[in-house]
Amino acid sequence: MSCLAERRLRRWLFRAVVAALFGLLVLPLAIVVSTAFDASSVVTFPPTALSTRWIGELFRSPTWLRSLLNSLVVASGTTLVSMVVGTTAALALQGYDGRFRTVVVGLAVLPLLVPGVIIGVTLLTFFSRFGLQQSYAALVLAHSLWATPLTFSVMQSAFARFDWRLHEAALDLGASRVKAFRTVVVPELRAGLAVAALVGFIVSLQEFVMALFLSGPDTRTVPVEAWNSLRQSLDPLVSVVSTILLAAVVLLVVSAGALVGLDRFAAET
Amino acid sequence: MSLSDARSTLGVPSLSARWRTVALLLPLAALNTGVFLVPMAYLLRLSFTARTPQGAFVEGSLSLDGYRYVAETPLVHDIFGFTLLFGVLVTALAVVVSVLYAYAAWRAAGGWRALLLGGAVLSLFTTIVVKLFAVVLVFSPRGVLNDALTELGVIASPLLLIDNLAGAVIAQLYIVVPYGVLAVYAVLSTLDDRQVEAALDLGADRPRVFREVVLPHARPGIAVAGIISFTWSVGAYPAPLLLGSGSEQTTAILVSQLLLTDFDWPAAAAVAVVTVAVVLTTLVVGLRRFASGGELLG
Repeated sequence: MSCLAERRLRRWLFRAVVAALFGLLVLPLAIVVSTAFDASSVVTFPPTALSTRWIGELFRSPTWLRSLLNSLVVASGTTLVSMVVGTTAALALQGYDGRFRTVVVGLAVLPLLVPGVIIGVTLLTFFSRFGLQQSYAALVLAHSLWATPLTFSVMQSAFARFDWRLHEAALDLGASRVKAFRTVVVPELRAGLAVAALVGFIVSLQEFVMALFLSGPDTRTVPVEAWNSLRQSLDPLVSVVSTILLAAVVLLVVSAGALVGLDRFAAET
Repeated sequence: MSLSDARSTLGVPSLSARWRTVALLLPLAALNTGVFLVPMAYLLRLSFTARTPQGAFVEGSLSLDGYRYVAETPLVHDIFGFTLLFGVLVTALAVVVSVLYAYAAWRAAGGWRALLLGGAVLSLFTTIVVKLFAVVLVFSPRGVLNDALTELGVIASPLLLIDNLAGAVIAQLYIVVPYGVLAVYAVLSTLDDRQVEAALDLGADRPRVFREVVLPHARPGIAVAGIISFTWSVGAYPAPLLLGSGSEQTTAILVSQLLLTDFDWPAAAAVAVVTVAVVLTTLVVGLRRFASGGELLG
């Protein structure tokens, strides 16, 4: 009997710990969102009076609007670059195994194993030789370095799932390579392509450390702008942009989850 | 565009198939060479230039100034010591939390699993700055947590959880734990339920199954979680800067200071090179001990 009671106690203890961890992980984000809708000009919790005052403020601030635009430009560029690089590399590895595959995957993953500050600093000194520091190109290239391993891995598993005999059949029926790829492979891989693109976009949208070093007054992204104002004081506008970023991420993750199922999405990225 | 090519369906790659593979790998090779390997080589070269008060570095010079600075400055030794300690501390905590959370998500049914995984994914994709902002709101002396604990009468005076080591560690955990959770979960999701059932049928209780079936299976995932946590904590920058005090200085903070404030590029480059060397050496040694490298990269 006591053994059973002990087991039950242990089970509840385990649940309590997991619930606490989940709370610690998610509740702070909810608190940030709630402070965005507070009327007061200092950040407080619980909110004193409900208001959308600061949301309006944000859209009247040229600096914040500029940073939103910069984030969109850089994230779109990163999506494009990392999709092309990740997809072609995944396609190249189709049918290969062993050492060759390990080397290519290792090369792709390597930038993830170097701290962001180091890459940021390195690229700052390197790009400044060509006057490229603080440019969109610098940010897009740096973000692509981190987004590509992920688009690459998503596309690899998408290609691995695809039944290549369909492609073969299309060729046998007289389709050109281009046509076979466009009409047979791409539609089947639509979900995989969309998820890879979303992941690339999100990686760029949320990346902060490299952007801190590589952006200038005209190219600052939202996280960099938020960091700058956070270092001075707790600004309600930071709550608002944080909420916007969170909403964007939730939207993107939900659509990615709807495309392939959250389970697979979580396991693959 | 090379995208329009598909792999050869022949069993043995023909010559043209091989060229196609090479062409398809060109974009990756170009990106990682041009934006990563070459700049890294440039950093290495920069670390061997002479320091000068007149500018960032002496163009074309060859000198050990930077490394001499690293070797001879006691403050730099302290910073390296703290950085390693910080990396180990965060990694240990992150791995424990990640395994626990991923295991709970793996065991949970349908809706609960989606909720737990959703929380991890949301946190993973939330920019570091927002997470740090949240940590300030929750953990500061007048923050949500302290207010709640004081009101409930659990504590008499607020706990000091920010602007010290605790703050830096808590903040860094928020950055690395989501990655750890998903890394462990990805491996756990390949564990066959029947294996667990068999162990239970044979009379093992849950903790024993966890120790003897789940943990050994999750090893590669745990290794990845450890690698990510360690790499990113040794390179930690925003978390200790915003939520630590002046004494929670990491080498990353030192590098940016040398580069941007002191304008001393050889010293900055040398500190960066040594940091990367420490990270990579630890990873190689750790990997050898823990699991085979090929398994992890695949």
